Amino acid sequence: MTIKNEVLIRMYTVLVFVVVFALFIFVRAIRISVTEGEIWRERGKEKYVQVRSIEADRGNILAADGSLLATSLPFFDIAFDPNSSGMAPGDFDKHIDSLAYCISTFVDPSLTEGAYKDYLDSLREAGKQYVRIKSNASFEEMLKIQEFPLFNQGQYRGGFIATPKYRRDRPFGLLAHRTIGYVREGSKPVGLEGYFDETLAGEAGQQLMIRVDDGLWKPINDLAKIEPRSGKDIVTTIDVDLQDITEQALYSAVLDHEADHGVAILMEVETGAIRAIANIGKTRDGDLWETYNHAVGSATEPGSTFKLASIMALLEGGYVNLEDSLDLEKGKTAFYEETMLDASAHMLDSTSVRRAFEISSNVGIAKLVQQHFGDGEKAEEYVNLIRSFHLDQPTGIEIQGEAIPYVKEPYSQDDSWSGTTLPWMSIGYEVMITPLQLLAFYNAVANGGIMVKPYLVSEVQEYGQTLEQFPIQVLSKKIASKKTIAQARELLEGVVLNGTARGYRTEKYNFAGKTGTAQLNYQRLKDRTRVGGYQASFAGYFPAENPKYSCIVLISNPRKGGIYGSDVALPVFRGIADNVFLSRPDMFPVLNDMPKGVLASNKMPDQDVGRWSDFEQALTALNVPYDPGSPAEFGVLLTDSVSLNIERRTIPEDRVPNVVGMGLRDALYILENRGLKVEVSGYGKVRQQSIKPGTRLRGQTIRLRLG
Amino acid sequence: MSIGSRIYSELRGDRTIWMIVAVLAIFSILSVYSATGSLAYANRGGNTEAYLMKHSVILGLGLLLTYLTYTMPYTRYNRASPYLLILAILLLIFTLAGGAEINSARRWIQIPVIGITFQTSDFAKLALILFVAREIGRHKDYIKDFKQAFLPIILPILLVCGLIAPADLSTAILLFFTCLGMMFVGRVDLRYILLLLFLGVMLFGMLIALGEFFPGIIRVETWTNRMSSWMTDPDGGYQVQHAKIAIANGGWFGDGPGSSVMRNYLPAPYSDFIYAIIHEEYGLIGGFLTLALYILLFFRITSLVTKSQKAFGAMVAVGLTILLVGQALANMAVSVNLVPVTGLPLPMISMGGTSTLFTCISFGIILSVSKYVETLADKQKAN
Repeated sequence: MTIKNEVLIRMYTVLVFVVVFALFIFVRAIRISVTEGEIWRERGKEKYVQVRSIEADRGNILAADGSLLATSLPFFDIAFDPNSSGMAPGDFDKHIDSLAYCISTFVDPSLTEGAYKDYLDSLREAGKQYVRIKSNASFEEMLKIQEFPLFNQGQYRGGFIATPKYRRDRPFGLLAHRTIGYVREGSKPVGLEGYFDETLAGEAGQQLMIRVDDGLWKPINDLAKIEPRSGKDIVTTIDVDLQDITEQALYSAVLDHEADHGVAILMEVETGAIRAIANIGKTRDGDLWETYNHAVGSATEPGSTFKLASIMALLEGGYVNLEDSLDLEKGKTAFYEETMLDASAHMLDSTSVRRAFEISSNVGIAKLVQQHFGDGEKAEEYVNLIRSFHLDQPTGIEIQGEAIPYVKEPYSQDDSWSGTTLPWMSIGYEVMITPLQLLAFYNAVANGGIMVKPYLVSEVQEYGQTLEQFPIQVLSKKIASKKTIAQARELLEGVVLNGTARGYRTEKYNFAGKTGTAQLNYQRLKDRTRVGGYQASFAGYFPAENPKYSCIVLISNPRKGGIYGSDVALPVFRGIADNVFLSRPDMFPVLNDMPKGVLASNKMPDQDVGRWSDFEQALTALNVPYDPGSPAEFGVLLTDSVSLNIERRTIPEDRVPNVVGMGLRDALYILENRGLKVEVSGYGKVRQQSIKPGTRLRGQTIRLRLG
Repeated sequence: MSIGSRIYSELRGDRTIWMIVAVLAIFSILSVYSATGSLAYANRGGNTEAYLMKHSVILGLGLLLTYLTYTMPYTRYNRASPYLLILAILLLIFTLAGGAEINSARRWIQIPVIGITFQTSDFAKLALILFVAREIGRHKDYIKDFKQAFLPIILPILLVCGLIAPADLSTAILLFFTCLGMMFVGRVDLRYILLLLFLGVMLFGMLIALGEFFPGIIRVETWTNRMSSWMTDPDGGYQVQHAKIAIANGGWFGDGPGSSVMRNYLPAPYSDFIYAIIHEEYGLIGGFLTLALYILLFFRITSLVTKSQKAFGAMVAVGLTILLVGQALANMAVSVNLVPVTGLPLPMISMGGTSTLFTCISFGIILSVSKYVETLADKQKAN
């Protein structure tokens, strides 16, 4: 064999080897791409890279004064990608020591610095792309961790991954819990969160993400990223202070009376803005909690508070005068053999319509209604009048699940209208209405007959800018004639002055309203057995002369300390009203509403010492007449009974001066110019100085006490 | 005369190899541009053109070097090779002792003034191949003699590979097998080659033992990790799985240029796993074409050997080609999970600094040899 042939044979051998190896590679590629292709493509699509949505920052729910009722707090899952594709060569090794130090010192002391370094090293070696550093870190913590060595180079160079999440937070805790509501996966949305979900939610963004080891997703920087759009804020009408007062008052009532639940709503008469809405109910464990929005969602038989509607129907139809005489039959009568009793025993035979209302006589009101609407087709007129008071309409409040009032269709078989329906309906049975709907009606009476829609949300904001404002909505310009409204208000005031509510009358202000004590699950059984408990309520408004707020309180099934609206619900109403007055001084009539004398105040700045020019400037600006005297650098203000004078005050140059009565600025100027060191305590004007005036100056330390 | 035909007439040597260089360069630009997306975001604020520009400049410089080395008579390398080898060994020692550490491997030295990093093994590979080719040529008449021919050849091989191995095992193994291949083609006795293989294994064993004492310098742990993940996991480790997804995504014809998704995921998609990206964007067709270009190179060198008279030239060309094609195959084999993960780039295509430049120089030397063989053949024809 020649040398050349040997070389060639060996070269061909290598060539064959190379070609065979290349074939192996290609066959392998075909196997991956074609034979196993589906499997790998599936893995790639489903498990590894996906366009995923990024949660948007949910909008805030604000109280009327702008304080936060519900907000989204961002928090972060912080992780480290030790194999980030953008990590500059060598950066990992350069920074790993200090990074391990920072993590073990500031984040997780359970591992030492060295252990952390080994841990991260091993994960980097294992090709891991997601190492959890801290879960649920706050924004501040995130900012701090972001500054760690290596991390400060960002996601791609530094492998720093912070995935934002949002947690709904209520800075006021349980305040208006149910009304604010929630949106949770797997349960019905509740409250304002539910009603305004679309506004609050914002738009989720989209980003290409890759799955990392343990089912977590890491974003890929990609041009196709769609930034999430933050949700908008809604501004509610809720007044945080009034809400708090309302909840407190209701809470203790429900607790004291061992009731099932209670409702209290406070509404602004003129606008229909709901300033407070509270629902306190018992949980299965017996704790008190905002479990259900009874104010909006529960329609019940209102009982006596409905009598206002009946009497107004009688007045509007021109059937009665308030002073008409009426036989109350000592509080017991019968309609078609069904006995009707007054709630509390009395011996009245003949009295006026006004009195019958004030003492909340079932017999009186039912008899009147039966007398005037009981014949022929007249019941229809009564029901139509009730309807004209909007008592058959939902208010349209911005909360999901508002119950619809139930007012029977006259003579309707479907509604099982019977001969006894009308008298019982007139005193608030066989009719169902929610507390809010009833309040809207009382509010209309307080508002001179104008019925406004109760509302909870006044505007939608974005970044503090108003996007949309919800104006006051008038449901009815006039639910009844001026005369009827005036008489209705007179009656309601009478209830407080002389009637069932007089026990809670106050000298401080006047309020008006109507008590209600309804039997729950009322059944007129032959043996008069009472099934279920009672529902105590009070609906009214204040101040009676010029109503600002209307309010309804309803307490369901009180077991202790009385059952009557006047005993159970009215104290809550009073508690709320008292506190509203305390927090709204503008609602008190001004006692000395006349121009004030110039020197009427006792707080004239007598004996104040200061710069002459400052006094002149201040007194001129305040328009206070004074006697200027002869100007000097410093002066002292002297007040006598008729005038204000500025007297010259000379400050000695070589002795410790008297600075008592001066402001700190002037005292410091004078003392430090004379080489003294000054120590100060307190606030206000100089009261005392530690060195006697007239002492020789030696650069001493002088202590001034202000007060 | 058009520029194209002028270049054609200017460039002598094997025109197929010129064509291979040109096509590989074009492939390189295309796939690097696509694969550097995430790197561009990381380092250049999303300026993807920055890496394209940088790579194009390096590639342009490399092609210039190709041309320069091509114009130089390759016989000069013969004389220079011992000095180059000594320089290479010194540089390797210096790198191991105090070189810059990048990606936790000590493979680079910083060139002071210019501030660029320089992978010494790239230079050492070239120097060693030139030296082995020279030795095979020098001792060709008594090549099967153990003492006179075999020993002087293998000592530098073991030394250089031993110095490269601690920080860059795959390069050392590749270089070792390249030298084995050269000796095989250079008619060294098969028994001695087996002996050398045995010595190589011994050396490797020694390194692992030493690794117990110098864990910072010898990356034994990395080797065992990669080896065990390749052996135990039939789907391949984490990186390999994504390479497979990339290949599968490409199908037969690929998703089209720039549409790779897995580039966001694969580590170093512009280098170690660029073959997977080529598959994803250009499909099996693109993958086959790339593979075919390297195989074609090997065929051209085989035909060159049949023509070449001078042992040194042929050996240099064979050595460099085995190295280039071997590295290419090794890189591709990683992506298809045929071998454990290595850090070897795809020659000419992967983005890289010194490795691209030395690949270009290698091509220049191969072309220089082919030009010589061609002129020789022309002369013979004329005679």
